[in-house]
Amino acid sequence: MNLFRLLARTKLYWGLALICIVGAALSPHTSSGRNIFLSYNNLTDVLRQVSITGLVATGMTIVILLGGIDLSVGSVMGCSTIICAMLLTQPGWTAAAVMGVPAATVAIGLAAALFIRFVFNGLERGRDVDAGRRREIVLDAWRGWRIPALVGLAAAAATFFFAASQVPTKFGVLAVLIATPCFALMLGAINGALVVKGGLQPFIATLAMMVSALGIGRLTAGQDNAVIAVYTGTNATEAFEVLRSMVWGLVPMPSVFFLAAIVAFGAVLRFTTFGRYVYAIGGNAEAAKLSGIKVAQVQFAAYVISGLLAGVAAVLFVAQYRQGKPDAGSGLELDAIAAVVIGGTSLMGGRGSLAGTFVGVLIFGLLSDILQLENIDSNVQLLMKGLIIVGTVLVQEQNFGQLLTRWRSLAPSAAPALAGSAGPGRPPSAAEAPIEREDMHETS
Amino acid sequence: MKRREFLKLSGALTGAATTLYLPAGWTPAKAAAKWKIGFSQATTLEPWRVQFNKDIEAEAKNHPEVTLIITDGQDKTEKQVADVENLIVQQVDALLISPKESAGLTGVVEKAIDAKMPVIVLDRNVDTKRITQFIGGDNVLIGKAAGEYAVKLLGGPGKAQGNVVEIWGGMGTAPAHDRHDGFHAFTDKEPGIKYLLNNQSGDWKQDKAYNIMTTALRNNEKIDLVYGHNDPMAYGAYLAVKDAGREKDIKFIIGIDALPDEGVTWVHKGYLTATFLYATPGAEGLRQAIKLLNGEKIPPVITLPTLLVDKNNADGILKKNGLL
Repeated sequence: MNLFRLLARTKLYWGLALICIVGAALSPHTSSGRNIFLSYNNLTDVLRQVSITGLVATGMTIVILLGGIDLSVGSVMGCSTIICAMLLTQPGWTAAAVMGVPAATVAIGLAAALFIRFVFNGLERGRDVDAGRRREIVLDAWRGWRIPALVGLAAAAATFFFAASQVPTKFGVLAVLIATPCFALMLGAINGALVVKGGLQPFIATLAMMVSALGIGRLTAGQDNAVIAVYTGTNATEAFEVLRSMVWGLVPMPSVFFLAAIVAFGAVLRFTTFGRYVYAIGGNAEAAKLSGIKVAQVQFAAYVISGLLAGVAAVLFVAQYRQGKPDAGSGLELDAIAAVVIGGTSLMGGRGSLAGTFVGVLIFGLLSDILQLENIDSNVQLLMKGLIIVGTVLVQEQNFGQLLTRWRSLAPSAAPALAGSAGPGRPPSAAEAPIEREDMHETS
Repeated sequence: MKRREFLKLSGALTGAATTLYLPAGWTPAKAAAKWKIGFSQATTLEPWRVQFNKDIEAEAKNHPEVTLIITDGQDKTEKQVADVENLIVQQVDALLISPKESAGLTGVVEKAIDAKMPVIVLDRNVDTKRITQFIGGDNVLIGKAAGEYAVKLLGGPGKAQGNVVEIWGGMGTAPAHDRHDGFHAFTDKEPGIKYLLNNQSGDWKQDKAYNIMTTALRNNEKIDLVYGHNDPMAYGAYLAVKDAGREKDIKFIIGIDALPDEGVTWVHKGYLTATFLYATPGAEGLRQAIKLLNGEKIPPVITLPTLLVDKNNADGILKKNGLL
């Protein structure tokens, strides 16, 4: 019984294993007889290909766990690829620099201030217990906003001078890696503010952002440039190549970012109060509010994180495909939501995990890879992906064992029902009537 | 109360941001123009459409007697229908339209014709015979040119040998099928040519083609020629080849479109072997409209020719466009 429960709980991993087995069995071989699917290069390719969707899905998971949704991630990423590509290829105060530099300044400043306050609040709580009330007077300054504000200002100033110093020439790798995600973070913050302060439904607020971010991207690029090409070594710094290199010849750089995000935010969700709050709010926002959780702050933070990760994905997109374009992420939000849902996270919020999302993203990526290796027609690929989403979600959403038992209990009465529909004019028997009623409930 | 203030503030900020942006895209109408010509563009998100608009705007600068109004359908049929209706209300002297799709825009084109407006349809046609003129490229012809060239690269007619990777544009779009059919009209005659992929669509996108090519490289040890249905996909395939370190093995990469800052640049840099021009009908469309307004007769159909762009003429084209 315990074994069965363990199997049921880990069914997602079994699904992943199954896909791997199918992939290995079907895979073509090289002329020297090596299995292509299982080759190290193929598997790292898959890991690289899923990294962009994966980063976005990581942020999306947190938003969905809260019972929200972020439709804007694709557009925000597209818009950010433009910012990134322009910063890399065009010197001077272009529209991208005008938006990117202040965004980085404000975001880094606030982040530093919040971090300092968070750390000292924690320290202080510990010391209060040790030393009693006497220390409290000394530590009073730490508790307030004065010192965090000073540190924040210093960090903001440092960021500003660093970023502004790169404006006359073109941006370097580090500066782009700071400015682009910070810009996306600001768009995420607008989402958060609209949801939390404006009281808009997440669907509506992020839908609006989805449309506007596309517009911002196009306006920033200028009407004459639907695509901004990045030629590293020619019109952009050669160092940018780092972002699509293999780290120590082992792991593709985009995957390092993806794995780091999964691990970091997985730890946040699992081990911090913030993480517990996310699940509590997603489970029952009203109850969470009444028990003193600052619901608005947590929700706001989720949209900010989602934007931030979309920005990181944007930099990696530009590095991988050497171009920025406003519609770079079109359809990405749906891929991300699909991966999150395949990973077993409930769209109603409160239930799910980042480990699930990681597996969901991998299942999606491995599936694409197998279909591509098998050289299946593009149209058939789309159809099969749809079927896989439905299949995995059926297994995930319903408790699979429950589904099976329900199906088994229906089976004996379903047989006469089929016979009944074949024979005309036969009134429904008492046994099948409740089934019909149940079906009607589900469809209506 | 707080919420209302917040909404007010965000409204004001959005307004301010929009105003800041406006002057960049907004050009005041020229005074004392003799004719008003409306042009309804389907979308400006694709580079080819951007070039299209550039061409027509450049041509308009040569004709001070013309005011050109350009609208952008934003890749939506209903938006483009509204655009054309708007141009009809403005009573333009001639209507140029490059429809997003034929079925959805036939109705509004007929409405313009009913309003006694000459209509010149560009690039994609509509389902009515009553239009004044149609100007477009012929994708089958371009596909044929690419196919003939591919056969020549791989050893010449009757002797061509090689493994070919073809990356499709959007499945179910007419240009992709035409470019496929035209290409195969030549290459299918060659028993030595083998096709490695089965209808793999890169959806006209560089990033998707990159991923298709990555897998194709993994799957096939010998690839001789890559044929992309447009230049960004051919370039995406080149990037995948380069990242896999196999530039030496893959001899030829061919694309289509030959936009100056895309295909031609990539040919010039040696990334692509060749690309075939899919000319935008922008400049020709405006010239024809002006001819018509001057009382000249114009033919019902004009087919724009293609052009092979390889390393011999790429530099010249770039210089002409001020990119070199």
